[in-house]
Amino acid sequence: MPRLSSWVPWLIATTLAAQQAPDSKPATPASAAARLEALQAERTRIMESFIAAAKEAEAKAKEAKSAGKPAPAMPTPPDWSPLIATAKAAAADYAGTDDAVMFLLFVLQMGAKQEEVVEALDTLTDKHLANKAVVDLGRMIPYLTSLVPADKAKVFIERLAKIPDANVRGWVALAQHQPTIEKADREGEAYQTAKTELLKAAELVTDAGLKGEIRSVIDTRETFGIGNVAPDIEGQDLDGVAFKLSDYKGKVVFLDFWGDW
Amino acid sequence: MYPHERSLVEEMKDKPFALIGVNSDKDVARARKAVADNQLNWRSFHAGPQGAGGPIPKAWAIKGWPTIVVLDGERKIHYRGHDGEEATKIATELVARMTAGK
Repeated sequence: MPRLSSWVPWLIATTLAAQQAPDSKPATPASAAARLEALQAERTRIMESFIAAAKEAEAKAKEAKSAGKPAPAMPTPPDWSPLIATAKAAAADYAGTDDAVMFLLFVLQMGAKQEEVVEALDTLTDKHLANKAVVDLGRMIPYLTSLVPADKAKVFIERLAKIPDANVRGWVALAQHQPTIEKADREGEAYQTAKTELLKAAELVTDAGLKGEIRSVIDTRETFGIGNVAPDIEGQDLDGVAFKLSDYKGKVVFLDFWGDW
Repeated sequence: MYPHERSLVEEMKDKPFALIGVNSDKDVARARKAVADNQLNWRSFHAGPQGAGGPIPKAWAIKGWPTIVVLDGERKIHYRGHDGEEATKIATELVARMTAGK
């Protein structure tokens, strides 16, 4: 399962790109850009002051702990709802124009309430499919079901599928066929169809990461699916002593990929 | 997860079973500290200085941690996923089947 957080930095980058994109010609360029800039500056200010407060509280908690006193309360995370409301108002002011897009993306990346996310995605996929930043929303497709209800995700994916862009088609194909690749009977027709569709999509995709992702979904199932013989591992233990997974032939192995982070 | 795994190793110590780790910490010292602090009683490969991006997790297409793969005596895959309880159940059944057959 991909982590939700992995698309957030991308979304921020996208918003910045949308802001700077030369092809977004707003009716009143300075004011839309200025309003977005003000929103972003405010977000940075709130975030920085929260981080400072959190660091201070952590230091105090450490002090209290070593003095054997109860730890003071940590600061509550910032309330973003006023910023989200401002962004929504701006999106409404520029409704139907490219300028609305960056404010809607801002709403998405602020971790807005689910109904606000649904609303922003609804407008983006309904009215702004031609916008470059919305094409990039294709990357969000794998996470949509964890952001919005399944029926909404389905509608948004169907709309995004209309974008004549090979990469978006690739993300759509991945969303539609990955569950089959992971779970269906490998000898069955459903599996074969899904695999054919995915390989066809991967062929046309230009994003190297996506191409690899599509192929790896299939490879992972075909190499590491139930019933396959796993490859050997030759490596060193934590003390630098060499050993092999095949040293344990004849035993049931519970192989645990772990980390202490 | 540590206490669960520790007791699994303890319970299975006379059985045809091994818990093998692939540690994906970049710094092997940190992994060794985790072993010492938590009294981890199993052997681990170290994935190397690239940690999660190292050759073993890469070759095994590991995308999330922890991932557990349950293998039988012939290295055939019986489980691959993130559910420790399910993996334990499958591994325990496999061991029971092996020991019953003897």
